[in-house]
Amino acid sequence: MLHGKVNHMGNNPSNKISLKQLGALMIPAAAGLLLFSQPTWANTDNTSTAESCYVEGLSDRLRCGSVSVPENYNLPDSKQIQVHYVILPAIKPSFPSEALLAIAGGPGQSAIENAPGFDKIFSKVRQHRDILLIDQRGTGQSNLLECTGEGFEGALSINDSDVDIGAESQACLDGIDADVTQYGSNTALKDFEAVREHIGYQKLHLYGISYGSRMAQLYMRQYPQALSTVTIDGVVPMQQSVLHIGDAISRALDLLLQDCQNNTLCQQQFPQLATDFAQVNDRLSQGPAISQTRDPLTSEPTQLTMTQAKFMGAVRMALYMPNVRALIPHAINQAAQDNFQPIMGLYALTINSTGIAAGMHAAVVCGEDWQRFSSEERQQAEQGYFGREMLKVFDQSCPIWNIPAVDSDFSAPIDSAIPTLVLSGELDPATPPSWGEMAMEKLSNAKHFVAPYATHGVAYQSCGNDLIAQLVSQGKVDELSDECLNKDVRRNFYLNASTVEAIPQKTDDSVPASAQGADHD
Amino acid sequence: MISTIITMVRKELTDAARDKRSVMAGLYYAIGAPLMMCGMFMLLIGQITSPEALNITISHSERAPDLVKFLASNEISQGDDADRKQIELIISEDYASNMANSLPAEITLIADNSNEKLQSSIRRLEKSLQVYSAEMGSLRLIARGIDPKVVQPLKVVVEDQATSDSKGGMILGVAIFMMVYAVFISGMNLAIDTSAGERERNSLALLLSHPVSTRDIVLAKIAAVTIFAMVGLILTLVISKIAYGFVPWQELGFSVNITPDFIALMLVIGLPISLMAAALQLFVSFMAKSFKEAQSYLTIVLIVPMMLSMAASYNIAPDTLQWLPISGQMQALIAFIKGQEIPMLQLALSSTTTVAIAIVLAFGMERSLKSEKIVFGL
Repeated sequence: MLHGKVNHMGNNPSNKISLKQLGALMIPAAAGLLLFSQPTWANTDNTSTAESCYVEGLSDRLRCGSVSVPENYNLPDSKQIQVHYVILPAIKPSFPSEALLAIAGGPGQSAIENAPGFDKIFSKVRQHRDILLIDQRGTGQSNLLECTGEGFEGALSINDSDVDIGAESQACLDGIDADVTQYGSNTALKDFEAVREHIGYQKLHLYGISYGSRMAQLYMRQYPQALSTVTIDGVVPMQQSVLHIGDAISRALDLLLQDCQNNTLCQQQFPQLATDFAQVNDRLSQGPAISQTRDPLTSEPTQLTMTQAKFMGAVRMALYMPNVRALIPHAINQAAQDNFQPIMGLYALTINSTGIAAGMHAAVVCGEDWQRFSSEERQQAEQGYFGREMLKVFDQSCPIWNIPAVDSDFSAPIDSAIPTLVLSGELDPATPPSWGEMAMEKLSNAKHFVAPYATHGVAYQSCGNDLIAQLVSQGKVDELSDECLNKDVRRNFYLNASTVEAIPQKTDDSVPASAQGADHD
Repeated sequence: MISTIITMVRKELTDAARDKRSVMAGLYYAIGAPLMMCGMFMLLIGQITSPEALNITISHSERAPDLVKFLASNEISQGDDADRKQIELIISEDYASNMANSLPAEITLIADNSNEKLQSSIRRLEKSLQVYSAEMGSLRLIARGIDPKVVQPLKVVVEDQATSDSKGGMILGVAIFMMVYAVFISGMNLAIDTSAGERERNSLALLLSHPVSTRDIVLAKIAAVTIFAMVGLILTLVISKIAYGFVPWQELGFSVNITPDFIALMLVIGLPISLMAAALQLFVSFMAKSFKEAQSYLTIVLIVPMMLSMAASYNIAPDTLQWLPISGQMQALIAFIKGQEIPMLQLALSSTTTVAIAIVLAFGMERSLKSEKIVFGL
């Protein structure tokens, strides 16, 4: 639903399958060593912590390991699961008792699979401190709760409104061998703390992106003594359900239409963009547009069933990435002219690209967000397309997953004096700046920066990662400044399938048309 | 006999220590070299890791505003006239129309690639242009309903076995070279002074007239020079250990650690090298007729062990060199730093050869000191 980071196209085309070989250390849990309600892993056997291993996309030799934890902390002697972690070792371990724990989004993304991205943005932090990545329970290597048969072969031709979400959820649940009620955020947090104690770090610096920001905030609430600094990026505040995301998507879409309107070139090329968008949306809401096409990857002939959900989903996902976002006006314009190729290209990017474990995703959202969504909130959310569709899905699936609701104090704002950096992107299609503001409510030692040209994940797109490195090394927020975030990095929109520069008029023979480009946007 | 030698070593050392300035001169290198190397690297790292804004001339920037903006967001722009580099980027007249038609849009990069000051800037600019081009290429495919993965047929997964310590091996190779060099330099002054110098002061004949054997005299002189060489080595190691810690190697992605283990190994390996260096320097100095001549000869003779050492640190002909004196020991040290297995056989053989050379030279000296030609410098 939130997604931490969708792949930047071009850089790293696939992010499935992460570890070549995970040196799993199976440490049998000696019965009785685990105390009731004791979250930490009380294992005295510290022979070796981790083996060297590699993660796809990183050539460095890393350290990998796992900790055995009870699936249900109330039944410490029952089923054990392995929580896997990877350490990107510090180049010069100046602070061996500290690490930066980077928490992935989703909910349901694997932190380990996102290691290349984390390595890139935290290269400065890694000069002196380890980067710790933990696959949260239910994701990646840690007892993955995915829905088998999550095939995407028919993704182009399928009519997604025909899909029986209830039956799919039931099939998924039946295929999972786990107590799905034990995969909520608070339980997973105990695993994080167990991993920290197992490796022996005294203090952690946290970085939580997207849903990961919820984990970071819970960490601040439950184990403040273990934390030095916290950065939350693309923030989901504790006070509200993530199902408000529908409004955030609509807001980001409006901002896009506005941006195009304010950009001379885009406005001239697509003067009717808002109308075009409404028209396509309206047409697809009547029924899908069916055409024959070629598969984006294999070039096999296939049927393209363009439904409203696919169209809106493709546009929505394109809003995450600043470079892909530039293609949206052209794609909408073409769709209005009945050419769905650009939309199909965008849609193909989203197929199986987020690496979200559906079972874990449902376990979190159904327990922590769906049930606390009040009826007024529900009415408001149903005003918009995205909110309505999202609720429809969870209204059908959550009763099947049957996850107990979290306590009401789960929604209390985080009251903390830990130095905290809160980052929001103005163009964020998931967690707008107002969400970050809400998270600030009771943070007494925090700064909230809004990056005007960033989407979801400020650290990935601007100098946000440098600010984090500064916070980690200084241990306080006082000297942080948002100046560098304001650097104008906006680019042109695509005006056709080929160019971002002004298209010269064919009849024009005197004035070079590109002269106008100077005052675009 | 042992006590005679000890007495004479003490005499040599007292003699050497009397001239404090020349003692220090011998050790200046041991102290200065690692400090200078660290200073140099600190400057270099500063330059590499904080790339300044790159100012170049962009002709007709109005023809490609988006490209110019992209470059600007990567700190590449026109900037002030004054600090513009000699790099020009010319955007062709039909750039926009070619772009609009999906034809290759031409930009011309004019620069002198043989100019070292520009090379990194040129590479940076080229890389930025490639990124821009690749990104546009991917988006053009998406706009045509094709997955950009299609144009990435190969996926090369690299598993680098290096650790952050072994990546610093290249730097430490140079450092080891300088340490070995310290062994040769530190004892050199004393070696000349106690041989050619002593003869010039006419005290050599006096020493030989005492009732001690020539062998004892030679051994005592070798011992004294060896002690100086080892003091130089210890100093270099201590200074390196401290100074290298201040260099921000981590910004280059590796670490350079002078561990106690390394220091111990270096001292053990350094001892035979010191012995040989002492014997070699004394031998050559005795051959020379005057102090000045000895200095000139030694400078030439030292080139041989230095070449061996340098060849080892730059990995020239590693298979042959690992068996030879000095280069063999150097390679063992480099292997140790990189966390590889130390080639014990090669190390043993090259160390034995080193000691053997020292013994042969000592015998040579013993014989030559019996000749009047040598003693009186005739």
